[in-house]
Amino acid sequence: MKHSLLALTLAAGGLSLNAAAEMDTSYYNDHYCTTCHGADGGGSEGVQAPRLAGMEPWYLKRQLEHFRAGIRGTHKEDFQGTEMQPMAAKLSDDSIADLVQWVGTWKYMPTPVTIAGNAEAGKALYATCASCHGTSGEGNAALGAPALAGQNDWYLVTQLQNFKAGYRGKDPQDTYGAQMGPMAASLADEAAINNVVSYINTLGR
Amino acid sequence: MSHSVSRREFMNLLSATFGTGALIQLGSALSLLPMTAKAASLSLAAPMPGKGKVVILGAGISGLTVAWELTKAGYDCTVLEASNRAGGRVFTVRSGTVIDEIGNRQVCDWDNEPHMYFNAGAARIPSTHRNLLHYCKELGVELEMFINESKTAYMQDDNMMGGKRVRNGEVSTNVRGFLAELFAKCYTTAQLNEPFTESESEIILGLIRQFGDLDRNKMTYHGSSRAGYVSGGLLDHGVEKEMIEFKNLMKSRLIGNTFTANEGETGPMLMQPVGGMDMVIQGFTRKLGDKVIYGAPVVGVQIKENGVDVAYDHDGKRHSISADYCFNCIPAHLMTGIPNNYPEDYLTSMRSIRRGEAYKSAFQAKYRFWEDEDIYGGISWINAPISQIWYPPQGIHKAKGIILSAYNFGGGMVFTKMSQEERVEAALAQGEKLHPNYRDVVEKPVTIAWHRMNHMLGCSARWGSGFSGWTDEVQTLFDRLQQPVNGRHYFIGDQMAYHGAWQESAIASAHWALEDMDQRVRSMAAQA
Repeated sequence: MKHSLLALTLAAGGLSLNAAAEMDTSYYNDHYCTTCHGADGGGSEGVQAPRLAGMEPWYLKRQLEHFRAGIRGTHKEDFQGTEMQPMAAKLSDDSIADLVQWVGTWKYMPTPVTIAGNAEAGKALYATCASCHGTSGEGNAALGAPALAGQNDWYLVTQLQNFKAGYRGKDPQDTYGAQMGPMAASLADEAAINNVVSYINTLGR
Repeated sequence: MSHSVSRREFMNLLSATFGTGALIQLGSALSLLPMTAKAASLSLAAPMPGKGKVVILGAGISGLTVAWELTKAGYDCTVLEASNRAGGRVFTVRSGTVIDEIGNRQVCDWDNEPHMYFNAGAARIPSTHRNLLHYCKELGVELEMFINESKTAYMQDDNMMGGKRVRNGEVSTNVRGFLAELFAKCYTTAQLNEPFTESESEIILGLIRQFGDLDRNKMTYHGSSRAGYVSGGLLDHGVEKEMIEFKNLMKSRLIGNTFTANEGETGPMLMQPVGGMDMVIQGFTRKLGDKVIYGAPVVGVQIKENGVDVAYDHDGKRHSISADYCFNCIPAHLMTGIPNNYPEDYLTSMRSIRRGEAYKSAFQAKYRFWEDEDIYGGISWINAPISQIWYPPQGIHKAKGIILSAYNFGGGMVFTKMSQEERVEAALAQGEKLHPNYRDVVEKPVTIAWHRMNHMLGCSARWGSGFSGWTDEVQTLFDRLQQPVNGRHYFIGDQMAYHGAWQESAIASAHWALEDMDQRVRSMAAQA
């Protein structure tokens, strides 16, 4: 645990809120993940925060860096992303490394199925996804494509919608997102998105 | 006003003034005020031998109520609190307080004086909230009066009077004058449904005259000293303020606030604990001592045939506790992220609750500038996202004070989505329409975006979609979640009351659960 990584200083419009006062900061660190992402990072539908347990360290690190830099989570229609972004904006490199290590201690637990789609119809659509994310949705580090199998299905739906609508993946620095955007756009409608996610649900983990 | 007003015109005018919805809301707010039952004296049976272990998830006021009542009845209670403080949304900010917003941690550096605090969540105790008042009395929480409405505070709306601020008292006096004149005209044109005798009519007309301070003979309104004097009044003859034409006032949708702020649940007498609302919480935690474990987030809830197992993290280790009963006030939207074996319909109810979005902020004032303007408490209203400025009723005539600089209950996301710098600038830019020198006389901002507060992530629960109200479908979801699982696990908090965002509601839900459990215990004891 890294304490006092955050400078407890906020300058606001010339009104300084500078209180390195005598206070016990030992309770406070950057380990906020579980409030939103659930106990042991299992994901929380109530706040639409996805499962982190079992997420690839390289992918988690990249996303934290993207959030921190505002590459992700700054489009105002990406509601959940805009909730995540200010959290990541405060993180140092050390803190990101610390968090990735912490998340790595959580055991993957299966996620519940919440989407009702036609998995059979989704199977055909998934062929496109498979080229990067793998036929079993296992992900491909070399291509920078994260695992899909085992992720919360409602989260996958939201992200496909966001990519399709251009709420995610449009930042010029988001090279992986730029690849993903047109792929999501090829899914005709909400039903197609639900179908492909339903198929991913069958891949297990 | 030169022509008489027909009944239809009258009703149209009324709804144009306040909006039909507003009138209906006011009416229902007044008639549907929740009745608080008898003051809290629960008589809970002692636990059955070996069946008295209780775990309470969350040290919000509902959880603390359960812990205190069951402790008194002889149960062995443990309260698990994820945060390092008790109280949940009963939260007072003062010198040294950490505001644990995710992504925007703040440390308050106001002057360290007893009156220099800000109730960032619950802030008012109505005199009808008997259960809460009962605990204040029982726990030795000293109370003082809280002022919700001040006639000398201001109203400002860019649509009204060219954006000029107007004293609440000028607004209410002139609106009443207008309404009274309308009433009088309607009455004398005999267009009311109910016939009255001549002597009854005299009484009614007298009341109308008094209501609006009308001219005695013509029953017309030309202004009133109730709006305050421009000058004089003591050693010189008072010069009355000029009457403000109603057609100017009616440009603002806020004018009805000068009436509603002082009615119903926010009407007098309101109270606050001396020193901050968290004195209520401290009253409970003083009694409960080390029964409350802080920094102990719950990571699993498993309901069994005869009890509940709870896993939690504390001091870097995972612990578990097996209890006979569990009372849970963790916000529903967070509970869905904690492994559990709840029945599917119970979880469906939890998932259906949406997160409240209330936002508040405050400044330290370098001096009590409002007192120089005859303001000693109450609320200034503004048609802008900050919505309200509250002047502290405590600390009168002291050097400085803490001023509430924004309170947006329903639309707080406007601020939540901003950076700290943007939030503060918005509060200053909007607030200076009410106090032109605002920017120079306030400092040290704190902002409370309940939607982003750690271990909370929302203000009061929203049942149903939007503000569309309570449907049969929502009722079914609520009823399911109110019922215990196996008679062992109770979901509580203001999220489990029809009237969220009040401490009294949280206590009511705790009492409901306690009484339900007590009946089951008595029934089991009778069978044993």
